[in-house]
Amino acid sequence: MNQKALQGLKVIEFCEFVSGPYCGKLLSDMGAEVIKIEKPGLGDKARSWGPFAQDIPHPEKSGLFLFLNTNKESLTLNMDSAGGQKIFKELVYKWANVLIEDKPVKKIMQMGLSFSQLHKINPQLIMTSITPFGKSGPFSDYKGADLIASHAGSEAFGNPDEGVKDPEHEPPLKGPYHAADIMSGLTAGVCTLGAVLGRQSGIPGQYIDVSQQEAVASICRQQLAYYAVQGLTPSREWGRKKFGGFLYQAKDGYVVIWIGPHYPKVMQMLGDPEWSKEEMFANPLLRNDYIVELNQLISSWTVEHTGQEIVDLALKFGVPCSTVRSISDLVKDEQLEYRHFWQEVEHSFAGIIKYPGPPFRHSITPGRIERPAPLLGEHNEKVICEILGYDRKDLVKMRQMGVI
Amino acid sequence: MQKLPLAGIRVLDFCQMWAGPHATEWLSVMGAEVIKLETANRIDYMRTVGAPKGLAGTGPDVGSAFATLNWGKKSITLNMSLPKAQEIARKLIQRCDVVAENFGGGVLERWGLSYAQMKELKPDIIYYAGSGYGRSGPHKERPAYAEIVDAFTGATSVNGYPGGEPNVEGVSPWTDGAQAMHGAFAMLAAIHYRKLTGQGQYIDAAMIEGSANYLGELVMTNIINGSEGERSGNRDAAMAPHGCYPCSNTQDESEWIAIAVENQNEWLALCRLMGDPGWAKDAKFADELSRWKNQDALDEHLSQWTKNFGSYELAEKLQKAGIAATPSLSTRQATHDRHLNERGFFVRTNHPVLGNVLLTGLPFRMGRKGRANFKRAPLLGEDNNYVLGKLLDYTEQEIELFKTEGVLQ
Repeated sequence: MNQKALQGLKVIEFCEFVSGPYCGKLLSDMGAEVIKIEKPGLGDKARSWGPFAQDIPHPEKSGLFLFLNTNKESLTLNMDSAGGQKIFKELVYKWANVLIEDKPVKKIMQMGLSFSQLHKINPQLIMTSITPFGKSGPFSDYKGADLIASHAGSEAFGNPDEGVKDPEHEPPLKGPYHAADIMSGLTAGVCTLGAVLGRQSGIPGQYIDVSQQEAVASICRQQLAYYAVQGLTPSREWGRKKFGGFLYQAKDGYVVIWIGPHYPKVMQMLGDPEWSKEEMFANPLLRNDYIVELNQLISSWTVEHTGQEIVDLALKFGVPCSTVRSISDLVKDEQLEYRHFWQEVEHSFAGIIKYPGPPFRHSITPGRIERPAPLLGEHNEKVICEILGYDRKDLVKMRQMGVI
Repeated sequence: MQKLPLAGIRVLDFCQMWAGPHATEWLSVMGAEVIKLETANRIDYMRTVGAPKGLAGTGPDVGSAFATLNWGKKSITLNMSLPKAQEIARKLIQRCDVVAENFGGGVLERWGLSYAQMKELKPDIIYYAGSGYGRSGPHKERPAYAEIVDAFTGATSVNGYPGGEPNVEGVSPWTDGAQAMHGAFAMLAAIHYRKLTGQGQYIDAAMIEGSANYLGELVMTNIINGSEGERSGNRDAAMAPHGCYPCSNTQDESEWIAIAVENQNEWLALCRLMGDPGWAKDAKFADELSRWKNQDALDEHLSQWTKNFGSYELAEKLQKAGIAATPSLSTRQATHDRHLNERGFFVRTNHPVLGNVLLTGLPFRMGRKGRANFKRAPLLGEDNNYVLGKLLDYTEQEIELFKTEGVLQ
């Protein structure tokens, strides 16, 4: 048996879709026991999201759900029923030491699950709330979504990086897919674990308020500092002021090259053209004022070469560079292959497929997918009977009454 | 007064640039004592980035980028090419719980500080090694620039407008942001395990592996259906309307609003707000799927309406009607945002070089008061005397000698 970094941690995940479940996955893959509360019927929204093999929707075959819920257990609970709320509180009292939830404040109050209420039942409980704008402040009851967090956190306004040609028709752009949701889950994971360590050294259970807006704004901290100190803010036309990391057209696609301090090496790679010695480019203090001109000259070289030729030359000259690769390239990547990153996991409905391995590697307590995402309500009996001590007849009754 | 959760944990921090320092910054803000070790010929480049007007190039304490990535830390400057400095570092490691670094390749090994050597000094040490591509494999030496890693992992290929070209991401959550947060999580998990068992360990954290998790949805889509994903702008796979629309501009800044309509009730509420215009009654917009399929036309109509309002004014109207919406904030607007300010997201700090500035705190709020360590980022070498004198018991004369010998710089 593997040693587990988070052994002994007992987590209720009352969350769905992406952000809360990513937080739960970070914990469960490192060895915490995570019981996921799902609504009876459809369960977690991610079960309806896909991708589905051959585009045949099935609640046990959604790729997003399978990915985000590894190593967890599933309990279906109708939280609008008195019985569902009672079971939830019993679990808080008898079993849990961490609760992660992503519901609107009003909903939590209605269900009697506010921190002050739960803290009375279990003083050691750590409760983490993930909400679009946090639980205090004038916009605390605003609704959210991945889109909303990306724009409210100032990430979208500075995207694309190099600005747009037609600002009227190219609005601020959110990061693709669920980037803001994952950042929120990651932030919740770090905050929760911080509180767990606090409890290990004697601080009692705490309430943690995670705002999705702030989770995104936090990673824009460098650009926020530029505004605070220099008064600089991106415009839609110009994007963010930078020294490198630009996109160039190659013969067969795109490459990204980092100039910055690597200017001499970049110029060597280009065969030391005459223009590279001109003061406006060669002098690093002037270069940024002529970055548009410089990039045009570099582009006129890149467009004559294939991406592979450019990457090979860049490696030779020590220039940071990559082609703009596809997701297939990542899935087949030799470095990830060499490091045995991918993990094949068998699931009773989805079959054997490969999953991303852990985002970091611990030498003694490596994160591992030991079991696939749970089937909907797979652990009802375990939780209701084994953990909470009800007998099977009660379990059947709860089912008949629509509690579980 | 209640202590912070990581009080009593000490971290020796060799991290530079963005992802590494931000990871240890989390530990610092949560109460760990983080000692940042820089060597004079290799100070953290961020110390020079984002200087106030007229101060660029005037010293190692002008970087606003550094100030926002190193809250609460202490700073020492050892010339690590000298054996005496390496000896001091070894002594310091004996007094630490965690060592963190994100050098490209085996810099610490060259200083005689491999994990095996550290373990001899401090058997339960936790060693975090952050890198772009991991510490093994054919790409292990490659540097980790966010824009390059984004291109490498496929994130750039899906960043853009429908039908448009790929784009470099503004601030990329997939790379530095993810690596920092995964790194903080990884170190906290290791500290948890050490508190349970007394055992330290080595952590090899590759940015591309964090990105591959961050991109998990796309990766799974590729594995299951062979898809490469697509550039879908502000659109969603299920919601419509779902986008970012123009508002009436104020001063010299363009204003925009993001709106996400999740279901039929919200759509009907939006129609009422717009005054039930004729176009909205078209069969093209009557149900969820039709709206989704006719988004180009839908967005065009909606833009004509949103243009009449300021972004905050409209967001409030929409939210009151039960529709998710927000102004799309520039960094300027975010800094002045009433909500972020009332929540105390920004921290005002008095910095000897940068002056009285409002910098971004961390989204960490524990307990009612939300206390945390937001002492300003350290000046270069500011804590040399504390670390060598108080922590390592060197005498004043010895410390003076280290200075004249160039061990301490």
